[in-house]
Amino acid sequence: MKKMIFAALMLLISSVAMAQIPSVKVEDGKGKVFNTSELVDGKTPMIISFWAVTCKPCIRELDAINELYPDWIEEANFRIVAVSTDDARFTAQARSLAEGHGWSDYTLVYDKNGDFKRAMNVQFTPQVYVVDKDGKIVYSHTGYTPGGEYELFEVIKKLQ
Amino acid sequence: MKRILTAILLSSLSLISAWAQGDGKGYLVGSFESNTILYSEDAVTNAQRPDGNFASNNYLKADYYAGGFSAGLQLETYQPALVGYPGNLEGAKLTNYYMQWTDGDFAVTAGTFYDQFGSGILFRTYEDRTLGMNTALMGARVSYHYKDIASIKALWGAPRLGMEPAKETQVRGVDGSLSLSNLLGMGATSLSLEGSLLNRYEPVNPIQEEAGAEASTLGYSARVNFEHNGFLVKAEYIDGGKKIYSNPNILIDGKSNLIKNGNAQLLEMSYSGGGLGVNLSARRMEWMESKVSYGSTETNNALNYLPALCAQYSYAITNLNPYIPQPGTTAGHINSGEIGGQLDVYYNFRRGTALGGRRGMKVNFNFSTYYNLKEEGSFMPKTLLWRNVNVGVEKQISKKFKMQLLYAMQEYNHSHGVGKGTWLSNMVVADLLYKFTPSFSTRMELAYLTTFEDQKDWMSGLVEVNFAPSWSLFVSDMFNHGDTKIHYYNAGFSYTAGRTRVALSYGRNRAGMVCSGGVCRLMPAYTGGNLVVSTSF
Repeated sequence: MKKMIFAALMLLISSVAMAQIPSVKVEDGKGKVFNTSELVDGKTPMIISFWAVTCKPCIRELDAINELYPDWIEEANFRIVAVSTDDARFTAQARSLAEGHGWSDYTLVYDKNGDFKRAMNVQFTPQVYVVDKDGKIVYSHTGYTPGGEYELFEVIKKLQ
Repeated sequence: MKRILTAILLSSLSLISAWAQGDGKGYLVGSFESNTILYSEDAVTNAQRPDGNFASNNYLKADYYAGGFSAGLQLETYQPALVGYPGNLEGAKLTNYYMQWTDGDFAVTAGTFYDQFGSGILFRTYEDRTLGMNTALMGARVSYHYKDIASIKALWGAPRLGMEPAKETQVRGVDGSLSLSNLLGMGATSLSLEGSLLNRYEPVNPIQEEAGAEASTLGYSARVNFEHNGFLVKAEYIDGGKKIYSNPNILIDGKSNLIKNGNAQLLEMSYSGGGLGVNLSARRMEWMESKVSYGSTETNNALNYLPALCAQYSYAITNLNPYIPQPGTTAGHINSGEIGGQLDVYYNFRRGTALGGRRGMKVNFNFSTYYNLKEEGSFMPKTLLWRNVNVGVEKQISKKFKMQLLYAMQEYNHSHGVGKGTWLSNMVVADLLYKFTPSFSTRMELAYLTTFEDQKDWMSGLVEVNFAPSWSLFVSDMFNHGDTKIHYYNAGFSYTAGRTRVALSYGRNRAGMVCSGGVCRLMPAYTGGNLVVSTSF
């Protein structure tokens, strides 16, 4: 039995196609429901970062990107989507934190029921993706170490 | 039977994956997580160890998407479960599997799924691996959205408890929302009405029946959401339906059960704009505990979500005595519930302003307080359960140096309201980050807690060295120098390559509450080496 499961798994792993942005329902900053497939605009690539109020490294990473964004946007055209994985308990707090951290250039998404997170198989935050203009995931990284943000920008530049 | 089912599932998966490799437009994503601890003996903390000194929690999840169709599964193995996890997690099993079909506004799900109504006080099924929680419903769900005006969903199923769906419990629910602002074209204002009905069925025994319990109970939730120019108001009223509690006064009135009607009120108001984020929330809960099964006392036996609405910290020393919500209990003493709230403020002093300086400054403030209810049905507070005030400042001092400072004061009722006694503690934390080069940095955390009660003063320190984007090493110690003189030391490293992360650490962990998302479980003391491997594809 275990061998069978293992074999099936290997088959699954070997069949990795280019994953893309799934289509699930999330909320925007005003509580309006929209579909994640609408994030893909066919023109600009984006960095998608899954974060939470209780996740210090996530906030550190988004702050670091925010600090560099004015310089980066001069070199490359891209968007940043910050997905709050906080549930109903923290949504209000997440909104306040985003405002108080000056993340005004970010597209803020609230994934209260965790549907986006599950569809993208996010286990730990921070989890960050670089997605091309057509919604294909071209890069992903788990965890944040200060300085890791530069690698994201390198990937973004290649997509221009 | 199970073997046949598993075989069918595996072969269909193989077929799907073979198709995915071909011309199919579908794609597959998945993840694997393994959390393993090798326990060692530690007489100093009276550390707990499982038989064989080894425990491992493992999760494998795979999802397949093709157009509007998706399917997935999750395998879990506990060899055995890590110390402190719910006892009903054991062995290996294909615990979750589902199929879903979505066609624009219409969706159907069969198998296991997660859902919630409103804030989750009435009903929520979810997974939280930190808590050993997975209450996925095994059943079916249908949902429909009509433009951006109305939506409705109906679900039915058996919630999961431990490794499988509860045998005798069934849940049926309907949830709907109507956007008045979109219906009437109100432009910049958003106003919506929502409502849910939940029927829970579980056979009751003759003794419970005599006390007035019914197998089928009905609860509901009614909600209003309003948003205009950054102002947001949410109000929710919940009737939890009839609940069964054991009667502590059985010798006096002869009844072994008490039947109570659950109810709760939640109000959230927030404003965000111009770098200012403020939110105020208030909540009252009475007899609101909702269980998957009456017969289980495990911490993952919950059919709703009653989190602590208060400051949430990520530093160990500020989490020694987290707030545990009191939704009503008859264990030890009779307390019908709690009332309280919190105020949260975040503000960003922009760069160039007097306080912001060259690189800006971020501040945040939280005040939260909770009380027992004066009496059943009352909205008046009685005994203080918890109070917290904290102020945090975050400032990028120079290009290389970032500083975060936190002060917190907490008052904690250690008997959870049985008595009036509280422990008062004051805490300070300094979190300093210094970048030597863009990819080489070090972070230091220094914290101190002072109190006249319990184990008196604590101090802690952590040093982390980071080589971006892959390596991170740390050493830390938390020391109770006020009383026990025990050092809780830890050291470890993590390595990340893309979506694979390996973390290895060794250390001593204190007995206490492990919390995630405002819900906690009790963790016994343990010492050992911990290996966490996670990957996704």
